[in-house]
Amino acid sequence: MAFSGALTLTDLNDFITPSQACIKPVEQILSKTEGKQPGSASNEIRIDHNGSYYEVNGATPIGGSTTPGKKLEQAQISLNDCLACSGCITSAESVLITLQSHNEVLSFLSSNATADVPSRKVPVISIAPQSLASLAASVSSPSSAPITPRQMFHRLRAFCKEVLGFDHVFDTTFARHVALREHVKEFIERQEEYRLKDQAVKSEGGTALPMLASACPGWICYAEKAHPEMLPFIARTQSPQQVMGTLVKHWMGEKWGKQPNEIYHVSVMPCYDKKLEASRADFYNEAYSTRDVDCVITTGEMQLLAQEKGWDLSSPVPEEDTLQPSLTTSSKLLSDVSLPELMVHSGSSSGGYLQSIIEHIQSTSPTPLSLSVKQIRNADYEEFVLRREAEPAAEGKIVFKGAKCYGFRNLQNVVRKVGKETGVRVAMGAAGKLKGQAAVMKRGRRGQEMISEKGYDYIEVMACPGGCVNGGGQAKPPTNFGAVEDAEGYSRKWEESGVLLEDNSGPLAAKWGNKEWTKRVENVYWHDLPTPPASPTSENHHMTNSGEKEDAGYDSEIRNEIVMMADRLLIDVTDELYRSGSQHNLFRTNYRAVESEVVGLAVKW
Amino acid sequence: MDEDLPYTLSNVAQLGGHEDRAWHIAWNPAKSLLASCSADKSVKLFTYSHDGEGTLNFTLAASIPTGHLKTVRSVAWSPSGRTLATASFDSNIGIWEQELDDDGNPGEWECASLLEGHETECKSVAYSSTGTLLASCSRDKTVWIWEVQPDSDFECMGVLMEHTQDVKCVAWHPTEEILASGSYDDTIKLYVDDPQDDWFCCATLTGHQSTVWSLSWSPNGKYLASASDDKTVRLWRRNGEYDFKCVLVLEGQERSVYSVSWGVGKSSQENDSSLGWIASAGGDGVVRVWDLSENPSSTADVPLVKLIARLPAAHGVFDINSVVWCPRKGYEDLLATSGDDVVTQTLQTTYQRRLRQ
Repeated sequence: MAFSGALTLTDLNDFITPSQACIKPVEQILSKTEGKQPGSASNEIRIDHNGSYYEVNGATPIGGSTTPGKKLEQAQISLNDCLACSGCITSAESVLITLQSHNEVLSFLSSNATADVPSRKVPVISIAPQSLASLAASVSSPSSAPITPRQMFHRLRAFCKEVLGFDHVFDTTFARHVALREHVKEFIERQEEYRLKDQAVKSEGGTALPMLASACPGWICYAEKAHPEMLPFIARTQSPQQVMGTLVKHWMGEKWGKQPNEIYHVSVMPCYDKKLEASRADFYNEAYSTRDVDCVITTGEMQLLAQEKGWDLSSPVPEEDTLQPSLTTSSKLLSDVSLPELMVHSGSSSGGYLQSIIEHIQSTSPTPLSLSVKQIRNADYEEFVLRREAEPAAEGKIVFKGAKCYGFRNLQNVVRKVGKETGVRVAMGAAGKLKGQAAVMKRGRRGQEMISEKGYDYIEVMACPGGCVNGGGQAKPPTNFGAVEDAEGYSRKWEESGVLLEDNSGPLAAKWGNKEWTKRVENVYWHDLPTPPASPTSENHHMTNSGEKEDAGYDSEIRNEIVMMADRLLIDVTDELYRSGSQHNLFRTNYRAVESEVVGLAVKW
Repeated sequence: MDEDLPYTLSNVAQLGGHEDRAWHIAWNPAKSLLASCSADKSVKLFTYSHDGEGTLNFTLAASIPTGHLKTVRSVAWSPSGRTLATASFDSNIGIWEQELDDDGNPGEWECASLLEGHETECKSVAYSSTGTLLASCSRDKTVWIWEVQPDSDFECMGVLMEHTQDVKCVAWHPTEEILASGSYDDTIKLYVDDPQDDWFCCATLTGHQSTVWSLSWSPNGKYLASASDDKTVRLWRRNGEYDFKCVLVLEGQERSVYSVSWGVGKSSQENDSSLGWIASAGGDGVVRVWDLSENPSSTADVPLVKLIARLPAAHGVFDINSVVWCPRKGYEDLLATSGDDVVTQTLQTTYQRRLRQ
């Protein structure tokens, strides 16, 4: 099957093996002190049994084992190389795993523990709420009450502090709160800009409506590589992970009297692509040669860490159900930073970005607005429309139209739809551009009604079907899960309900198992305290606008108090960060199109 | 031994016009129009009709330059015959419709839509039997399913990442919404829609020892034929909803089999158990035609097969890239081939009324 290496085709590669090797050229920087010209004929390279490379001087007799020669550095492809390359799309998992892995965390922690006091770094770990839900679901036994994310957080905090030796353990929900507030602010800015310009902005580097969510690194990476025309629409707001990075390295560092490079910040995420996000040049601090997040591990890797260290996440730790002590006092202590913990942001388990914008529009509208939700094809694509509550007879004017759009397939349709509505170039190829004009004009005449329909103002885009609870880095469902039980714990007999099943490993079993598991994690995500606090008053109960996904045990008063506390803290944080010299575009970032470097001739297929 | 075969394949027309290798052909199901595509990035359309003496004549009717940046690898007509889809190595799918001028006369072929999404070379494209779905596949290992909407609009219904290698071909079931794909990973995958959810892979057929280049369903939908680099054509019988078993391996090809097509056939004797004709072609330059019929006496589900025609060096010394039966009534004995010699040609399968000697 294999073709000779000399056969390099450009256009007619139907017969060529499909897997394309990494095309990134690897550079070796030779030190100037060496007298010899690199590449001169007398150099010889040997590979020993470990796979290490040695440059051997030409004079060395063959078989001269006494002079092993100069050991050469092994070529390495860094994450930044991957980010700057269009050769493949976010699939370089092997690269990611070696550079940011739980082993990396362990080796840092062990060297850090023995380091001298001046060079010792402060180890900090921040855990995403979706990771907590995933771990909680995976240790919950089907027979008893499920473990809550709060319980899991306390167990992980105990593990990270007592066993791993982290100084501080946070969850990322306060950072998400900051990101959501910034997101809403940015949306208002864009709307304002849109009104002033009176038309959609098509300018280079400008921003435009509809605004598309920016928290999903898989989506960002894909847009930069495959759909640069979408970049002006993507919010510039940083993701919760990167907001947390800023908070830990700059704000907390300041309080602890530590410079950014004196802190080692690990985050636990439901997603592999978060490793790519943390490695972006935008989040690298040149002055201190450090990243806002030094290392990202996935939920699954966190689980592995606990396993390897013999820590049982299914056994409780003391006071794991307690709400955190009041913040007002502790945050005044400079040495001990405390953030609001496990904040609930309703709407979606992927962060509630759309919901936060809807809530803002509703709360600032002079007239009452009604929300209607329409499922387009399945739960991964839903449309949210805010209308003015006009006369009951007529449908009110549409004030806002948003959508929640998850999964690679829906993402394709978002790109097509936004491209069409705003008229930005979607077509990369020449076909269509050249000859499509007449057809488009013809369609324009026929489809006038359709085109005058209001386009989207905002889309919560996530690359994973089911959103972040179903992220690629989440813990795998227990092996006994899926075929026999559904989310409520009932066992289903598929054969009896007319479902043909050949055996348990058949296509249906595998499919249902995964969907059910995602549903279970989703349920755990919204499930906080096992018993609600005393005297919940029904009219005080906050219902989300989509009328679902209300967390079980939170009293709305407590929740409002925490939100107010978080907002006060946000003001303090922003003030302090500005005072210590942060730029004005705090919590924002940038994107850049990755030009395709894959030129036929340059690539050996 | 060739003399023993009951049918001959005779050349009807040599269709020139391409400037580089001819990759694939598609017969319009509704009218006298044959489309062929090529590495020269163009699509040629030929009309055909019988002259006064009953000879079939082919005329070049139109050439679509397409604007694709690379090879057009495959073409497919919608069941209505009004829309043509092109799959190109530039990673895009083009959708082509004939413009009507103000008087309603057909004019130029225009690109009505461009489907982007594949990362690398598109290899094949196919319309479902009702024309409401379009499938495409690519070297990026994915199979995409698009819903055809009014005004040349398309919505992506599924991105199926089931194959571990380059996907070479897609083929829809003749009546149901079942899609088959063949790949460099030597497997065939079958996909169906879950109405509550997404498209999913419901079966994987293994058996081929090398790349699956081409797939074709039997006209009655009970069998699937696959052509492979392992020099065989396999027949898979559908025994249950998602249950397919390999029942026959057609051997005899001396090189890779690049293309297989299953037509209704024009059998000399009418026969209820007929399953039609299979044509295969590939690297050995030979076009072969097999007659298939259900075995009435057996319960073994193995159809009867008989090689009925064979044409060596159909494109001289060149590889044959595709072979396709004409689906139109009255033309069931007509097939088209395209080859590396830049030529597309049509062949007629005729019964030899020769007495055995």
